[in-house]
Amino acid sequence: MKFFRRLDLFCRVVDNYGDIGICWRLARQLVREHGLEVTLYVDDLASFRRICPPVAPEVERQQLDGVTVRHWRNQDGVYTPDEVADIVIEFFAVDIPPGYIDAMAQCESRPVWFNLEGLTAEEWVEGCHRLSSMQPRGLTKHFFFPGFTEKTGGLLREAALEQQRLQFAPSPFLAQLGLSPAEMAAAKVSLFCYPHAPVSALFEAWQNGGRPIACLVPEGVAADAVRAFTGGEGGAGSVATRGALTVRVLPFVPQPDYDKLLWACDLNFVRGEDSFVRAQWAGKPFIWHIYPQDENLHHKKLRAFLERYAGALPGLADFSLRWNGAAAHGETENWPELWAGLEREAAAATERAAAWQQQMLGNGDLATNMLSFAATLR
Amino acid sequence: MKPAKEIRVGNIIMVDGKPFIVLRSDVNGSSRTGFTYKWKMKNLLTNSPLENVFRGDDKFDVVVLDKKPVTYSYFADPLYVFMDAEYEQYEIEEENLGDALNYLKDGMECEAVFYDGKAISVELPTTIQRQIVYSEPAVKGNTSGNVLKEARIENAIESKQFIVQVPLFVSQDDMIEIDTRTNEYKKIVRN
Repeated sequence: MKFFRRLDLFCRVVDNYGDIGICWRLARQLVREHGLEVTLYVDDLASFRRICPPVAPEVERQQLDGVTVRHWRNQDGVYTPDEVADIVIEFFAVDIPPGYIDAMAQCESRPVWFNLEGLTAEEWVEGCHRLSSMQPRGLTKHFFFPGFTEKTGGLLREAALEQQRLQFAPSPFLAQLGLSPAEMAAAKVSLFCYPHAPVSALFEAWQNGGRPIACLVPEGVAADAVRAFTGGEGGAGSVATRGALTVRVLPFVPQPDYDKLLWACDLNFVRGEDSFVRAQWAGKPFIWHIYPQDENLHHKKLRAFLERYAGALPGLADFSLRWNGAAAHGETENWPELWAGLEREAAAATERAAAWQQQMLGNGDLATNMLSFAATLR
Repeated sequence: MKPAKEIRVGNIIMVDGKPFIVLRSDVNGSSRTGFTYKWKMKNLLTNSPLENVFRGDDKFDVVVLDKKPVTYSYFADPLYVFMDAEYEQYEIEEENLGDALNYLKDGMECEAVFYDGKAISVELPTTIQRQIVYSEPAVKGNTSGNVLKEARIENAIESKQFIVQVPLFVSQDDMIEIDTRTNEYKKIVRN
């Protein structure tokens, strides 16, 4: 990118792996595909390490995959204008250290400053995307919204991702994870959700259902339900079969392997924003467990997405709403029935997933869209 | 300092040392970090409109401006002159008057708005009555109000006569009431 050389990205880890998952993905893409020198400021290196094992949690500054990673300990840092990058991104409206903002204001050539916002399918985003936000001392920030339409920033996606997916062979990967031939032959479901998801009820429906299901769940996810099903500690490698259901606990995998898991499964349960987006690029049916917000604002976001995505898939929409506790008032949850509704739509849901993926490709990718917009601000 | 989430339409805020009036605020739910505030604002010094977006925690100085009743007196190119009850005159530039220009009329009562001791704009009453100086003939029987035509209303400077959309039954020389916030026709005023 000829206009810019350096980019600083500020990330606070709130949703355990989602925030850093997105920022890490974005940082690497900006280095690899756009040739930028990227510094990722992150406050929680221990969480970062779960998705990127080479991270050394005790180190202040380290180089990983071409990205400079700095431990963002507090707001007290002192910075000089020389340290300020050409593009500065505050991820999810985090407060950049005041000292850094002071340094930004002292720069002869002001940096392009973005607030990279959360993903939502709500329409209002189009009216706020790329709008400026005047700040003190002559600085201007711009809000940049990822999204599902051409009037937003699009979704995060690496250039080679689709090619990698098309070349992927699921069997060796699944065998490497320890799946037995019976599990390989079963319907494969990956499960990633927040602790409040009604996992036990769904396990019971699957267990008593007629179709063999292999549920692959990363270690630590839905821990109580998994322990109750498998017995023991429910650590990586735990596996148990009851009725039609086999639950297998996987080690917590790095991002590239998580992509492969999504590609290899017939249905993916995902959570937050990062895995939600990756599930869309996997081109497979998925159920989204959305990050909970006060006053159930997340239900509004969920419905906005389902309206765009699941218009012709009422079973998927219904299941998704119930999975997120957004059932209509007074309605009870009948998980065998909800699962049956989802299964009936399996073929249509698979077609929809592929069509949606093509539609999203048409919006370009977030990193490229953001840099293109940044260039117009210089 | 007040956070964006406490700012209301009509508040005057300082943004980077410049006074802005918030004309419209759209509040939307966003990330877990809170709401996004999209404001239509007007720079009180230049009258230029602006659309900006803020986080709910962004903080602003809220300015309480002085206001004083005045009447429009005369046009001293390029300034518009207003007078208060003590015959003190205040000159305001055309670009600062904005929509008020559409309704300016000799002797019109309004409020001058002062910033830093200088009259910077005028505020109009929410509704105002004006006579139609030109419109195509009325069409009888149309009372639904959903079909509109153009009508020019009286004001101080003929070259700046303002056009309002009115129902077809409204006639030339009719006195009408207009909402100055939206420039919309409200009703015919029958004496």
